[in-house]
Amino acid sequence: MPPPIPGQPGPPPWTYDDRDREIAIEDYGLLGDTRTAALVAPDGSVDWLCIPRFDGRPVFGRLVGGPAAGSFRLAPAVPAAVVERRYLPECATLETTWQTEAGRLILTEGMVAEVSGRLLPPTMLVRRLAAPDGPVEAVISFDPRLGEGHARPHTHHRDQVLVAGWPTVALALSTTPRMHLEPGPTYEITVTPDRPFTCVLAVADREPLVYVAPDAAWDVLEADQRRWQAWCRDIDPDIPCRDTVIRSLLTLRLLTYSPSGAPVAAPTTSLPEHLGGGRNWDYRYAWPRDASIGINAFLGVGKHEEARAFMAWLLSATRLDRPRLPVLLTLHGKRPAPERELSHWPGYAGSLPVRLGNGAATQHQLDGYGWVLDAAWQLTRAGHPLYSETWRTMAGFADTVARRWREPDAGIWEERAAPSHHVHSKLMAWLALDRALRIAEHHRTRAARIRRWRTERALLRDDITAHGFDRVRGTYTRSYGSVDTDAALLVLPYLDFEGSDGARVRGTIDAIAHELDAGGPLLYRYPPGHDGLLGGEGAFLPCSFWLVQALADSGRPADASALFHELTSLAGPLGLYAEEMDPATHRHLGNYPQALTHSALVQAALALRSAGPTAS
Amino acid sequence: MDWAGWALFGLLATTLLTALMIAAQLGGLSRLDLSLILGTTVTPDPDRARAAGFLIHLCIGQLFALGYAASFALLGRATWWIGGLLGLLHGAIALSALIPLLVGVHPRMASNRAGPGSTAVLEPPGLLGLNYGVQTPLVAMGAHLAYGIALGLLLNAH
Repeated sequence: MPPPIPGQPGPPPWTYDDRDREIAIEDYGLLGDTRTAALVAPDGSVDWLCIPRFDGRPVFGRLVGGPAAGSFRLAPAVPAAVVERRYLPECATLETTWQTEAGRLILTEGMVAEVSGRLLPPTMLVRRLAAPDGPVEAVISFDPRLGEGHARPHTHHRDQVLVAGWPTVALALSTTPRMHLEPGPTYEITVTPDRPFTCVLAVADREPLVYVAPDAAWDVLEADQRRWQAWCRDIDPDIPCRDTVIRSLLTLRLLTYSPSGAPVAAPTTSLPEHLGGGRNWDYRYAWPRDASIGINAFLGVGKHEEARAFMAWLLSATRLDRPRLPVLLTLHGKRPAPERELSHWPGYAGSLPVRLGNGAATQHQLDGYGWVLDAAWQLTRAGHPLYSETWRTMAGFADTVARRWREPDAGIWEERAAPSHHVHSKLMAWLALDRALRIAEHHRTRAARIRRWRTERALLRDDITAHGFDRVRGTYTRSYGSVDTDAALLVLPYLDFEGSDGARVRGTIDAIAHELDAGGPLLYRYPPGHDGLLGGEGAFLPCSFWLVQALADSGRPADASALFHELTSLAGPLGLYAEEMDPATHRHLGNYPQALTHSALVQAALALRSAGPTAS
Repeated sequence: MDWAGWALFGLLATTLLTALMIAAQLGGLSRLDLSLILGTTVTPDPDRARAAGFLIHLCIGQLFALGYAASFALLGRATWWIGGLLGLLHGAIALSALIPLLVGVHPRMASNRAGPGSTAVLEPPGLLGLNYGVQTPLVAMGAHLAYGIALGLLLNAH
């Protein structure tokens, strides 16, 4: 084979056959800068990146849009086995190692999070190929397409920098050694031990491009790496499975949009809850519920600034809707655009439709108030008294609960059927009033208001125990009059609604573990198919971590610990989790990586720590 | 130049502008809270910030009123419609330049480039303040229009 000519386009040495290409969801690696995120396949292809924010337009959308939606690939020139794939310790830099006949080829890549105060692009993806054992042939293919219509860019070159532009967006791709690239073709390169191949992709949205030399970008990425490692060093050293928990915390932080503090539920849209099915939703929004759970997770590991930032976001984002708590918001606290389908997008593994927007935004969900008020209480208890405005907002939420708890709602699972009286929602409404009363002990509150909350809390308790408990089976039920169980009820021991080791609580935990068992450590969130939607879905991963927490909180730490370790063994190869899992194949399903699953993992670890050394 | 009119009516017009912005917030039209934004340059407590911010806004409003009074003096008359035109110009400058530029000088306001090390907690306003709600430009322009009309009417009457 003649030596490849760097920079000369030519036919790829092997066909990259998309019909046969199926990358498992959990095999994707997350790169992020706390403003947006990319997903990278083990074959070196960036298949997902929205700009300039998590909820922006995809510039590489192949994950759910097929080859026409664009990708950016660096890989060996011939098929080669991935022999190692990992995050570098305690940071967000990803390393993939292939074993080729000529030796190892190592791809190290990351996005630069800290660009503030320096003349750097706000979105910067840095990728480096190294060949430590000898010269290795590699390929680069850069094919950006913008938005729903997969718009191709207009291109020009500035020196050897490829500039790809659309009316308001521009990308600059520079490489060392320099290459003359065009979007689309695959180019061969030779990587030698003394000459790694480095490239940097800079993004500009409604602002001028900032050109960065690849080697300078690499230095910036390494500095960023050190900052992440310093961030991780502060995390409580006594937490069980610390490395696993740290990966979850890093993921949660990467999924928090720094300019506003909004926690995005997942960086993707329409990864299916059932392969080939229609349960495909857009999760690139922020749920106040997730922010509240995140507050508890970060407080528990000593990251108080992150916890307070979530509360600041909650206050700012909910201002237009108070005293109603919106179900979900955009990253800047606006109402999401109406849900719609992209009819020409093929979807992940043929799972249709691909959706933008989220229809759950218009629902009434009572449980969110409980999560938010509990988070406010946890902050108060951790020594962060609420500002007067924060307390006024929380008290307004409690008033809303006192006024509306008798109404049916859509519930935590955002059912698209008629609203009903969900027991979990009622319990969380009780929690909202209970935590409001606890906070009121530390903040000035009118006596009449306190009396009203007390009265409604007592009425709620009576209502739940009268209508939401099945005395024959000894378990709380999914909704009033239902015989189904609901894994969301695993929060019971945490609430102090009744004794955490009492018969009703234990009966509910045991009923859920038995009736919603999906095999191994996995649980369905409710009996499969009982939601009015077509098609099935996988086991719901946060529920399994809630079971760990419930077992630990209800005096069964050994069972909790065993379950936790089983669950951590089911993580993706990089320690990341989606929302759901196929119980038969253990393939991850749903949007990925999922903040709620990672928050639940952290809280399960915290519960194990609280349960004592047996559990830890 | 009507100095007495400027001193009194500048305060009244700024109070009107602030009241309209607060009404828009309470009515769910915009999250733009000028008193909070200005006040958090000196304190992180939202309640104290609003009080401080209101005073700062009065001072700034008074400075702008000086420009209005000078313009009226140069034109030789003060009318509601000239005041309204000046108000629209004032609103456009505030939305397109002053508010977005705050990101560069406000110690507690994040920018769109904020990363994990940022301790700033106020979200950036974005172009035309759109991050604070899609109706923010309309609300701000309306409030500044009212400010200009009020100054035109009051200085004319005086």
